[in-house]
Amino acid sequence: MTRTYRWALWLVLLAVVVAMLSPIAWLVLTSLKSPAEMASFPPTWWPQEPRPANYTDAISKVNFLGATQNSLTIAFITTTLTTLSSAWVGFGFARLSAPGKKQLFVVLLATMMLPGIVTLVPTYLIFAKLHMVNTYWPWVAWGLGGSAFLIFLFRQFFAGIPREMEEAAIIDGCGYVGIFWRIFLPQSWPVIAASVILSFTGAWGDFVGPAMFLSQDSTTLAVAMASGYVNDKGLPLNNLVAAGAVMYVLPVLVLFLFMQPRFVSGFSTSGIK
Amino acid sequence: MSSALTEVRRTTTAAAAPPADRRKKPPGLKRARTFYLFVAPWIIGFVALTVFPLGYAFWLSLTDSDGLSPRTHFVGFDNYVEIFQDPLTLSSLGKTGLFALVTVPLSILAGLLLAVMLNQPIKGRGLLRGLIYLPAVVPPVGAALTFRLIFDRDAGAANGVLSGLGADPITWLVDPNVRYVLYALVLWGCGGSMIISLAGLQDIPRELLEAAQVDGASYWQSFTRITVPLLSPVILFQVITGVIGSLQSFAPLLLSSGSLSGAGTVPQGNYLYMIHVFAQYFSASRFGYASAMLWLLFAVILLVTLVIIKVSARTVFYTVEPEGKK
Repeated sequence: MTRTYRWALWLVLLAVVVAMLSPIAWLVLTSLKSPAEMASFPPTWWPQEPRPANYTDAISKVNFLGATQNSLTIAFITTTLTTLSSAWVGFGFARLSAPGKKQLFVVLLATMMLPGIVTLVPTYLIFAKLHMVNTYWPWVAWGLGGSAFLIFLFRQFFAGIPREMEEAAIIDGCGYVGIFWRIFLPQSWPVIAASVILSFTGAWGDFVGPAMFLSQDSTTLAVAMASGYVNDKGLPLNNLVAAGAVMYVLPVLVLFLFMQPRFVSGFSTSGIK
Repeated sequence: MSSALTEVRRTTTAAAAPPADRRKKPPGLKRARTFYLFVAPWIIGFVALTVFPLGYAFWLSLTDSDGLSPRTHFVGFDNYVEIFQDPLTLSSLGKTGLFALVTVPLSILAGLLLAVMLNQPIKGRGLLRGLIYLPAVVPPVGAALTFRLIFDRDAGAANGVLSGLGADPITWLVDPNVRYVLYALVLWGCGGSMIISLAGLQDIPRELLEAAQVDGASYWQSFTRITVPLLSPVILFQVITGVIGSLQSFAPLLLSSGSLSGAGTVPQGNYLYMIHVFAQYFSASRFGYASAMLWLLFAVILLVTLVIIKVSARTVFYTVEPEGKK
């Protein structure tokens, strides 16, 4: 690779990075602007008088702390149950056999292609009949069912562990539950980490689920964010929207940047196809 | 790994010898039963949370249910007939098809291009990858709100740039411009596609490309003759998941309104199929009709997926069988 070529590539990629980051920069800049500044045209690039009070206003305007707590509860339920259940089922597919296993595995892979939203709306009606709307029980049910993608991920990992480990344990009288719990699960922390990250960010970002299954005052941050910041006339208070959005998005971004080297390379080596 | 093993040995031998009657049952049957014990959570979940809701939606689609009143009438296939006579349903279906047709190739190509560039040995590659992937991590609501702020008529950055260039401001968030905002929003998240393509690129044996180079192939030739064919399963995967995702997309709802019942506020240009479904469910309480719409979407997605798999069968190149032994 020639020097000029390398430099050109670098410049192109730098431009892409700037383009990718500029919306986030704009979000942060907007979150510090005063209402008067928001109303003037053309827009100012840099906040003339930074207004940190937008952040305290954003917290008090909607039930921010309550919604955060709801988000965290749902994310915790989803993450714990989905990870455990997916690992459990993945172990079954990786290390045990029975008639019908192959067909079941094909069905499992096919469900990865199933449109989630199509089942979500009728599921809402079913849970409404069971009086479970406006409770966290739907998330418990979804969590216990596991996620097809994570089951697949765990299955791939468990399938790669040498058979001797399991045989030695069987000779010692350890059952499969014990093998799963004491030998396989403790070894699978890279997959557990991926599963925790994916299910946590998934639950944190989910909009339709909480919007449908929870009432306005017991809902998550995602829903409160999307609908809460309006004035008496129903017009959006954009500087508060921005401040709220920063507080909603930034934890996820910081978490990602923190784990970014592991996460990106982990993705590249997981054999996703 | 040996420490875990010895620990188990110690605890089990210390506890008791394995009961003798455990081996009386045929080992195959016991193994099978254990297998089903392990996969039971998924099977139960699949039946209760996927098969049953789909069946329930189908039953509902044959009624005039509004979800509340106990008096629900069986109307046969009337709802399905109505779908094909309702101009709003048909136009929203068409818009959704167009949306998929534009955004899926756009984001796969952008992702592939970035992946190829980021697969080169350059300084700070890891950080560049991370930063370009970053927007894909932003939760949908956060992304939509951010784009609402950028394309705001008065305080938005997009019009700020335009006025800096001496051009007139554009009202982005209404028709017909709003669909470009939606495309931009999708493109912003193309890092997801980049990561998957990158994973595929790294699986391509380096020797193949080096051999081609020795034989005098140009970069373009080895790209089209080696890289793309070897990447085709990854691209197919992205096409399928991308199409499925965009056919059920409700992103425009987040771009214009913060509630599921606010589907009426979505501009015409972004009035996708799912938006119309939400409007029927939560604003009009037409549960029967909306269920029919969902079942139609399910059928369309199934059909499209099958067609894509069928059509691609001859062009996709697998080095290993997808379900082959490792």
